[in-house]
Amino acid sequence: MEQTEIRITAEGKEFRNNVMATHGADKLMQCYQCGTCTSDCPVAKRVPEFRPRNIARLAIYGQKERLLDGDLVWLCAGCYTCYERCPQKVHVSEIISALRQLALIDGKIHPTIKSIVTTISRLGYISEIGEFENEMRVEDGLPPAPTPATEEIKAIMKKTGILGRVGGA
Amino acid sequence: MKYAFFVGCTVLSRLPGYEKSARRVAERLGVELLDMPGSSCCGTTYMETLDRKTALSLAARNIAIAEEMGLDIVTVCNGCTENLTKTNKALKEDSVLRSEVNEILKETGKQFKGTVEVKHYVRMLKEDIGLDKVKGAIAKPFKGLKVGSHYGCHLLKPSDEMLFEDPNDPKVLDDLIRATGAESVDYPGKSECCAGPVMGIREKVTWDVGMDKVETVKKFAHAMATCCPFCYITYERCQFMTETNPNLPVVHIPQLLGLAMGMTAEDVGLGLNKVDASALLAKQEA
Repeated sequence: MEQTEIRITAEGKEFRNNVMATHGADKLMQCYQCGTCTSDCPVAKRVPEFRPRNIARLAIYGQKERLLDGDLVWLCAGCYTCYERCPQKVHVSEIISALRQLALIDGKIHPTIKSIVTTISRLGYISEIGEFENEMRVEDGLPPAPTPATEEIKAIMKKTGILGRVGGA
Repeated sequence: MKYAFFVGCTVLSRLPGYEKSARRVAERLGVELLDMPGSSCCGTTYMETLDRKTALSLAARNIAIAEEMGLDIVTVCNGCTENLTKTNKALKEDSVLRSEVNEILKETGKQFKGTVEVKHYVRMLKEDIGLDKVKGAIAKPFKGLKVGSHYGCHLLKPSDEMLFEDPNDPKVLDDLIRATGAESVDYPGKSECCAGPVMGIREKVTWDVGMDKVETVKKFAHAMATCCPFCYITYERCQFMTETNPNLPVVHIPQLLGLAMGMTAEDVGLGLNKVDASALLAKQEA
């Protein structure tokens, strides 16, 4: 059977370059597909479609849709086991981080993560720590929680553009 | 010794037993933990995967508060520790990045200067207080208690950023457990992640990962000890989500230390743990 060369399209190449231009993801092309990342991944053990090695492979071939459609890149637990053990220092966790950043540029973000971002800008914390929570804290023998300067947090998140990108206020 | 105490959202709002025991144990060891006025979320471990500048700026703002206090930071959450440590290192080493972040921070009136250090509570105990002093404070040691330690990820990893102990052979929690008179047991999968960050994406993955460890630890120990709010929540909650009789107590490491120092169950907020941990009290010398 004739073997066809695997080609990367111009769009695919651009996507790959964007991945590699993201902080920490510059060593993508060093990946020689040994699979150490997948064999040590706590999520891969339970989620058959989550294969860090395949994610690296798809990124090398610029397969944007296959990577960014669905919740694939949001399944990484960020444990850095693959980061620690990669013999080529590809740091697949950082490749996945780069993919999330590129997904967000396209307006794609997992709803749970989106709500975390908008909550931080609204409350200064990831959860409500208001009057009721502070009363509970005092009952437990703790001082009231620091009052976060929410205006400062919002100013930071507006200035970096993250709020606009996640579609928050 | 004095530190700026960065408690972090999850401990502040959900784990009073962790915070209370951490404060009491510090007090007993002569460590002052001062609150950080105006401090906020560290940025969460998710933020750097969405936008690095935002993550750096949110963390740098908190670090700047400690700088104004003139104090090093102590944290009790692995996630906060990672964010603050990475940011501190990156901004100290890269002056261009520091200027960019300080430009973002301008409106807040705060600036990152690079004058303080960030340490997790257990690292502070080991490096600044010393295990000998911790051992010296033990008044009511455990006897015959077996504990499985769980370090979690971001206390140690990425190791080239955290620059603490070897993630494949960490010591600090085991040393602290042994200091209380309890036995720190080894078990398969000790270094595996709790998968807490996936809870909001696919819950079942987290419960499965959690229960694997819970079942293993049960074979070797009476309880599990953690130093991260997310790991703690995962190992307690997975039991309630999947079992009718959750029975592996999960304790925060300062709770164990506090009890061994002679504090009461109330002093260390033991009754605030969701899985009943009172059996531990029966394993203390009178």
